Amino acid sequence: MAAPSKRHVPLFLGYNKSRALLRGLDRKVELNLTSMIDMFTILVVFLLKSYSAEGAIVTVSQALALPHSHAEQRIEMRLQIDVNNSVIVVDGDPVVQVDEDLLSTGNSIPLLTARLRDHLEYTARLKGTLGEEDRVVNIQGDEAIPAILLQRVMASCSEAGYETQNIAVIKIEGEEQE
Amino acid sequence: MAQAASGRSHRKKRGTVLDMLPVMNLFCVIIPFLLLSASFLEVTTIAMSQTEGISRSGGSTANLARSEEDRLQPKVIVTEREMFLGTTAATVHVCYSFQVLDQETGRSITRYDMDSLRIKLQEAHEVLSEAYPMIEFRKVTILTEPRVRLDNFVEVVDVCREIGLDQPGLQVAPPEAFASALGGLPRGG
Repeated sequence: MAAPSKRHVPLFLGYNKSRALLRGLDRKVELNLTSMIDMFTILVVFLLKSYSAEGAIVTVSQALALPHSHAEQRIEMRLQIDVNNSVIVVDGDPVVQVDEDLLSTGNSIPLLTARLRDHLEYTARLKGTLGEEDRVVNIQGDEAIPAILLQRVMASCSEAGYETQNIAVIKIEGEEQE
Repeated sequence: MAQAASGRSHRKKRGTVLDMLPVMNLFCVIIPFLLLSASFLEVTTIAMSQTEGISRSGGSTANLARSEEDRLQPKVIVTEREMFLGTTAATVHVCYSFQVLDQETGRSITRYDMDSLRIKLQEAHEVLSEAYPMIEFRKVTILTEPRVRLDNFVEVVDVCREIGLDQPGLQVAPPEAFASALGGLPRGG
């Protein structure tokens, strides 16, 4: 009787695993990562575009909803005044409570003016001299505050010696201007 | 090498496989870092100019031109019901206010037609620039009633900046002052 050819060798001759299975074990299973790499590349480009090396210079209070604008002037680290419909905060300290009396008249607010003047004097003492950049103040106003309140805060800043007042806004992205 | 009798080539076609795993590792490090440091809201500022009347200093030509600019600068007058544009020549009605529902708070808030303001302000700026070519008009005064909201003021500032009036100043006057000053103009509601 002729010896059986390789093809006809029975599959279970002293082996626990089939040859078919053994043949499969040395194959490399490769994942197709191309689509994931494409996605990651797009993500990285988008994130790099919105990356700011300077980090967040100012922190916007949770109690404020800043108005939106196309203004492009970058905010700088200066004395910060937060204004909403209930309180005026200077450099983190609540200074003036906003009520109907405050909104019924114009001009500067004495308490705020005094606080700002103190801050300017402190800066002058600390640095020896006052530069133009020391006389700049950032006003973060809630979008719902009335104009009279903003005007009174600005008048107080002017009276205290802060000649330049910047109003902080959230930049509107994506809409091109004419 | 001699070709096989069958005529088929015995050279094996080998595909080049790039190992993408290091790239993936790099991306997996970069993406969380960028996500953590990304700031999606950019805070910018509007520089307000001091609103003053005629320049107090000196009598030089530059100062005279500046005071002339101060005198001629347009005024956007915003009341709670309507908006006007004032120049030295005339005060024109721009638009009436309208109410929109704020989705977040559920309250109705006042808005104005900024396109009308844009058109009228553009016209006024062109007329002023033609009449006074030696003056570069950049100042604008926004005169409001006490209760006009900050976001409306900022919208007006944006329109002014588009036109080229990038030095806005704020003035607030009581409603009675508007009633007397705008008495001759059509009022609506």
